[in-house]
Amino acid sequence: MKRTAYVSALTLATLVAVTAPATAQAVVGQPAPPFSLVDSNGQTRSLADYAGKVVVLEWWNYECPFVGKHYGSGNMQKLQKEWTSKGVVWLTVSSSAAGKQGHVDGAKANTLMSERAGSPTAVLLDHDGKVGRAYGAKTTPHMFVIDPKGKLVYAGGIDDKPSTDRADVAAAKNYVAAALGEVLAGRPVTTPASQPYGCGVKYAD
Amino acid sequence: MIPTRGRGLVSSLLALALCLAATAAMPQARPARHTKASLVSETDAIQPGRTLRVGIRLEMEEGWHTYWRNPGDSGLPTRARWELPAGFAAGEMRWPYPTRFRTGPLVSYGYERDVLLPVEIRVPPAPSAGEARIAVRVDWLECQDACLPGRADLSLDLPVRPASAPGPQAGLFTEARRRLPTREPGWTFAVAPAPSALRLLVRTPRGTALQEAYFYPSTPRLLDHGKPQPLTREGATHRLELPRDPNGAPAERLAGVLVAETGRGTVAVEVDAPIAAGPARTSQTQE
Repeated sequence: MKRTAYVSALTLATLVAVTAPATAQAVVGQPAPPFSLVDSNGQTRSLADYAGKVVVLEWWNYECPFVGKHYGSGNMQKLQKEWTSKGVVWLTVSSSAAGKQGHVDGAKANTLMSERAGSPTAVLLDHDGKVGRAYGAKTTPHMFVIDPKGKLVYAGGIDDKPSTDRADVAAAKNYVAAALGEVLAGRPVTTPASQPYGCGVKYAD
Repeated sequence: MIPTRGRGLVSSLLALALCLAATAAMPQARPARHTKASLVSETDAIQPGRTLRVGIRLEMEEGWHTYWRNPGDSGLPTRARWELPAGFAAGEMRWPYPTRFRTGPLVSYGYERDVLLPVEIRVPPAPSAGEARIAVRVDWLECQDACLPGRADLSLDLPVRPASAPGPQAGLFTEARRRLPTREPGWTFAVAPAPSALRLLVRTPRGTALQEAYFYPSTPRLLDHGKPQPLTREGATHRLELPRDPNGAPAERLAGVLVAETGRGTVAVEVDAPIAAGPARTSQTQE
């Protein structure tokens, strides 16, 4: 019986090792995983296109109340506007699978962003969740910042107030804004990782 | 589990009348759609100078869940903000051991159906005579596939008396206590770093064999909740391999709850052990 347990543990360990790349997670301080995705206007966007630029990835599900907190308060739109005006590439990513909450096609994504006066550089459609899984995107929102050399320099929550309460936005410390300010100034990021908070990303099963 | 919509008007009115009669609950400020929250007491009265045991009860519709102190990959822990008479003080919320909810690659920790989160309230030696109101605002997140924030303002008016008896809800506390993690004598733990993981070495009393085991970390940003925790046994020592969160925070201790199947039922043991600088050699006995 002991022998059986040992063998199955070994088998499990082997399985984990073999499947590891599929669930690999982007690690702060390491090169950000490369990707190519079609955006809401049908254009293919690759991380490689933005070499030399600072890139933000924002995981998005418009029906999630945590996302609602940051769009309803205007916080996310303000960040998008401010930082894209400073040359940052802001990519909003939807990994909601077909039939799951927050799933959008290109037209729907454009309508929603227009209604909310959002201004990301592009909305990327990750319907099969491959890019979300490669980054280890867990929540909406879950935020990543990539420096001009392609290194991941921030991964985590948008701020330090895990709640759905819009009133919390004003007093929160925004980790993304702090990281972007430091990266653009050529300084190391003081808080390179934090706990992401929100709804779970609605991946395909 | 009775969904609210399944109740008749008569029983709703009856429930309302009972609530008013007992002055036991204020209306919820913003009714949640799938979770019913209530504040209950183990005893029927408050005794001066003694501990009052109360609990926040969350009754969830089938398929819905709320979260543990560490929600795992997503979600929010249930939070309580107390409003108590002068001299009263609420302790920390106690958390019965949770279960796991897997959706795709993500794993979260929480409760389904019915949970009681016990809290001990210190009562001053000479509280105001008559009645005292224990009030709490509870915030939680309830999720099925989708998530909704829930909030309730709850209160309980109890007489202040030299003696008390078990209240009608006392049984809930007995049940909740069975699920509260304990510091079990005879269990020893040691934690050593391994590549991309922490290795939890467990020695059980009298060499009790563990058939299954899962470690729930009490804080996020330590372990990768979505990955399996392989269990192996070498002689009297069980080894649980806990994959780390690659973007996690540095940690000096491993704290959480080990939930294990022993063949004589489920045990939930509190773990709080230092993480050794190198590979583990000796077991660290818990206090």
